Amino acid sequence: MASQASPTMSAPAFRSVGRSMLLTVPMALWSLLMFTPSFLHAGPDSRIACGVVAAFMTVLFYQMMRTGTTYRWRRYFFVALGLLFPVGFIASLVAVRGSMSIPIERMVSGDTPFCYMVTPMLIIPAALTRTLIFPGSILPTASNPHSIAAMIGIWLAMTLVLGKAWCSYACFFGGIEEGFAALPKHARIRKLDPRFRLAPWAILLAVVLLSAVMFEPVYCMWLCPFKTVTEFPAVRDAETALQFGIFVALFLGLVVALPLLTKKRTQCGFFCPFGAFQSLFNKINVFDIRFDRTKCVDCGSCRSACPTMAITAESVREGKTLLNCMKCGACVDSCKKDAAVWHVKGTAVAGKPERARLLFLYGAWAMATMFGGSVLAHGVATLIHFVARN
Amino acid sequence: MRKRILAVAGYVAAALTLFVALSVPFVLMGGIAKAFAQAGFNLAPVYSGGTVARTIERNGYRIQVYQPVRPRPFQNGEPFVQVAFVPASALPAQICEEIDLDGYGRPDVRVSFAVPSNPQTPMRGDVQALNDRYDTLTGIGADSYSRFLARTGDRIVLRIPLPRHD
Repeated sequence: MASQASPTMSAPAFRSVGRSMLLTVPMALWSLLMFTPSFLHAGPDSRIACGVVAAFMTVLFYQMMRTGTTYRWRRYFFVALGLLFPVGFIASLVAVRGSMSIPIERMVSGDTPFCYMVTPMLIIPAALTRTLIFPGSILPTASNPHSIAAMIGIWLAMTLVLGKAWCSYACFFGGIEEGFAALPKHARIRKLDPRFRLAPWAILLAVVLLSAVMFEPVYCMWLCPFKTVTEFPAVRDAETALQFGIFVALFLGLVVALPLLTKKRTQCGFFCPFGAFQSLFNKINVFDIRFDRTKCVDCGSCRSACPTMAITAESVREGKTLLNCMKCGACVDSCKKDAAVWHVKGTAVAGKPERARLLFLYGAWAMATMFGGSVLAHGVATLIHFVARN
Repeated sequence: MRKRILAVAGYVAAALTLFVALSVPFVLMGGIAKAFAQAGFNLAPVYSGGTVARTIERNGYRIQVYQPVRPRPFQNGEPFVQVAFVPASALPAQICEEIDLDGYGRPDVRVSFAVPSNPQTPMRGDVQALNDRYDTLTGIGADSYSRFLARTGDRIVLRIPLPRHD
């Protein structure tokens, strides 16, 4: 039985300081480019936040270059994103409308910020009737800059770059459960039914079809655990009270309790329909994780480390991960035989894994800095503002 | 040879991905958003109220009467017709209007509500039916998508339920 391998263990230095810094320079410049406009046009809180986040992202990238490991440093960013997104978002909601609940008049006026989770549910109604079943606005407005078109633009552009790696470098929800999963030293529940990994596909199919039939985003109305830490329909009657109860129960169960017990991202791996949807884009993404069969000793550390059970004994024998691999790097970092490697499709598995890793990381980290970095900066600025005021 | 071609193609695709990543904030994101916005999609009428059927001009403001909105077979909610008073900032303190909802030339309902000076103040209003196709409703506020009165931006939106069999 393989131990619950921790991909976060400190790795020996992989590159020299100078070479690592040289490799970090492009990302440092990218951070400067991304944060300079906000820095120049924002108040003092946001300026400090932009500086802190730009430095944070650059230091993490440097550590990736220096140590040759990915998972641990990505996780620092990702957990920070999961924690700080609700901070900034809730503070904005409270400032604008006084509470986290969204009243019906806000939905009628198209003021609901668009969430990418809705995307798969939009497809059938939009294709058949040219109708978008979301109470937002198509174009950005003064009261709703997060319009449907703007968010679809961000999502599609980033998906072209990341594929399913969206779930490791862009999703501002996954970090919450990744943080909880990182807390215990050992998993209390080690044996998980492998069929659980099929659940997101079933939920995706169900919510897409139900949304098309009921003409409303069913997942958002009934099943999204993250409504608990973002916004939810105002509780007006028994139905909306039940919806809120389901959101809270799913959040506590899938995002808090099960990650603590299993050390897995249980919401992402066993529930999230958007994650299943994103898995489809792994087919067209050029990067993946492969296993070098000449080096693999079947120790199972990669399977144990994978937070979403995207690796099975059979898949390792075939030299691949499953379709739901989110390229977090946990398996690569945990493999002591260097059998799990980053890979560019079409190239030899035993070729140049570090080149593949660098090509992937530059794109992924650029996206993380652009999208997640702005979210982090907003959260940090909110905290600074809150501390300074009190 | 084939392996080499595949490897070169793989690296070219990887480099293109990097190029795409760097173009996201400058070109790609806005381009996709613009293309999406111009693709001719509409918001679901239960949220947007549908399309304006006709506009009634009043002294300093307009009354927009929308096409009736009917939920699809398995969709939640009741059918309704939306009426918008725009701009809200130009409305008198008290509205009392007889409105022809179906366009047959006779008023169908009499609508009355106070226009609060503070846009944040919750609104309540009454709808008196002038024929038997509509129900008289009192104390309408932001109750549901089909029974609704509230200020949204610079307009006051009223939604009056329609009979299901209509």
